[in-house]
Amino acid sequence: MDIQARAYLPRIAGLALAGASFLGVTAAQAKEITIWCWDPNFNVAIMKEAGARYTKTHPDVTFNIVDFAKLDVEQKLQTGLSSGTADALPDIVLIEDYGAQKYLQSFPGAFAPLSGTVDYSGFAPYKVELMTLDGQVYGMPFDSGVTGLYYRKDYLEAAGFKPEDMQDLTWDRFIEIGKQVEEKTGKKMMGLDPNDAGLVRIIMQSAGQWYFDKEGKPNIANNAALKAALETIGKIMQANIYKPANGWSDWVGTFTSGDVATVVTGVWITGTVKAQPDQSGNWGVAPIPALSIDGATHASNLGGSSWYVLESSEEKAEAIDFLNEIYAKDIDFYQKILQDRGAVGSLLAARGGAAYEAADPFFGGEKVWQNFSDWLAKVPSVNYGIFTNEADLAVTAQLPAVTQGTPVDEVLQAIEAEVSAQIQ
Amino acid sequence: MVGARRGIGRYYDVNGWLFVAPALGLIALFMVYPIAWSLWMSFQSGRGMTMKFAGFANIVRLWNDPVFIKALTNTMTYFVVQVPIMILLALILASLLNNPRLVGRGLFRTAIFLPCVSSLVAYSVLFKGMFATDGIVNSTLQAIGLAASPIPWLTHPFWAKVLVILAITWRWTGYNMIFYLAALQNIDKSIYEVARIDGVPAWARFTHITIPLLKPVILFTTVISTIGTLQLFDEVYNLTEGKGGPSNATLTLSLYIYNLTFRFMPNLGYAATVSYVIVVLVALLAFVQFYAARERDR
Repeated sequence: MDIQARAYLPRIAGLALAGASFLGVTAAQAKEITIWCWDPNFNVAIMKEAGARYTKTHPDVTFNIVDFAKLDVEQKLQTGLSSGTADALPDIVLIEDYGAQKYLQSFPGAFAPLSGTVDYSGFAPYKVELMTLDGQVYGMPFDSGVTGLYYRKDYLEAAGFKPEDMQDLTWDRFIEIGKQVEEKTGKKMMGLDPNDAGLVRIIMQSAGQWYFDKEGKPNIANNAALKAALETIGKIMQANIYKPANGWSDWVGTFTSGDVATVVTGVWITGTVKAQPDQSGNWGVAPIPALSIDGATHASNLGGSSWYVLESSEEKAEAIDFLNEIYAKDIDFYQKILQDRGAVGSLLAARGGAAYEAADPFFGGEKVWQNFSDWLAKVPSVNYGIFTNEADLAVTAQLPAVTQGTPVDEVLQAIEAEVSAQIQ
Repeated sequence: MVGARRGIGRYYDVNGWLFVAPALGLIALFMVYPIAWSLWMSFQSGRGMTMKFAGFANIVRLWNDPVFIKALTNTMTYFVVQVPIMILLALILASLLNNPRLVGRGLFRTAIFLPCVSSLVAYSVLFKGMFATDGIVNSTLQAIGLAASPIPWLTHPFWAKVLVILAITWRWTGYNMIFYLAALQNIDKSIYEVARIDGVPAWARFTHITIPLLKPVILFTTVISTIGTLQLFDEVYNLTEGKGGPSNATLTLSLYIYNLTFRFMPNLGYAATVSYVIVVLVALLAFVQFYAARERDR
């Protein structure tokens, strides 16, 4: 019985292969573009909107938008690229900006260059720079992680602060306000996850520095911005104006529950903030606090991602044309995703649209979108390099030392030692 | 017929080889080839697909990699602390639950074995919620006065290790206990009877009769637990969102391999080298355990 089954196996496999290739042929004729992305309320929904717009003018193209967790998208992509076979990979994939260069440099030839097709002069320059390798530009810039200081007007008013008092703060002033807020209202100033270096990255980039210099070499021990960022985190912890959080959802809970007075993060959090209708009118948005060092600004970036087309894709031409038609040209599309999803795109021309001028009642009638797009143009451009994940873990590993009062210079040495060992 | 099977001739029985050939082929394809290839990979280094032969550079890198040293130390700490606790606990529970006069022992056996049925991911997520700063464990400890302030289970390097050890002990003690229970059924009751008649106290019966007679099973469970602890991944991954935090205090070798392959700039060669560290460690420890448990009086 067993032997018989084995004898038939090649024939069955042959049939299955024939079936698979037959399916492949029909799929090619229907021109289905497969896309991987990760947030059903954000980039997945936005890609569906983009697909619907493109299908209107190109009825022969359909879309298969696959929704994974972000970690799974990255792992599946990395596994697929490492295996060297492209069968399991999509046509378009969403990649977070921190990881872009890692994929471009680790898997040369895996992604299609778009330089010839797309006019990159219309996009925020920092987005284009991070997807450029050896003179070629590889991705379609998508959302920006331009940062803002979201604050509870009601809590701050109870502590005696008006919205004017929240504009253009320094971090020292921010901590000072935090102490008074806790004194008067009993609320902590912010939620902080000691295992997440996001705030360190925000503060560091706001002063125009990164873990790496323009050549991609570690820039840690003598990085004034990183040093100031760590000192700031240390001060926040010593002042005890934060609510500790463990993990992302816990951190989100610190402000959705109304336990903290401010949130410093990327603009993509807007949807989550607005998901609490009972807090409507209580929130305001200000520029993030600045450091007191040379080159310090009130603008920074956290996260953000872009679309990449796989070189091996059978629908490569259609995929590139689709991205170019919608993401590089359709101003109206950007108004729609801003209104519906709070997505601040990096196409600068989109800023002239009506949605960006609109006042948001949730934020008490402030023109928050115009503010964010103004700040977007001021985000200092840095080289994320290819080892941001490694550096990030080294920083989180040393954060407790900062709070225990170890001199920051020593901590920086330890981080540099760990990063140097990791990046070979 | 009989003559043909004698001597070296039977090794050349074509029909026999034909029967095992498909299985051998599959083993070669899916076991031997990947293992050999990973060994070859451990001598290469590079970014993603751009790998170059690097000789012993990866092994040199191990010595200078503080994160690897940290992961190795953590893994050995789990092993040294957790395995003895769990084996001892499982032994004690097994001999308690082997007592035929114990009321409801079926219920207790089931209750203690039940954690093994749960999915690794599910129970890790559950533990994460229970041991959160304002989770049920901290509020209970505070309510009964055992802790003055919430214990930072997930945010303090020491307590995070304690939590991981607690979690894997909860999950695997029942599993080991079942082996001991089964082995205890095979010990002749008359041996205990004789010991009782001779006035041997209960504790001495446990240490001088139960443990020596269970030695082969104890050896087996120790080796299995050693391998399991050295490969620890799921619990730490889920408790710390894949980071092995705080401060790499819970990072294990397996999690580091995962990070090197899927989270960091992919260096498959170096990741393969770290995985061979686990192979060597398991082999060494298993050898030591077999050596320690050998029959001395033969």
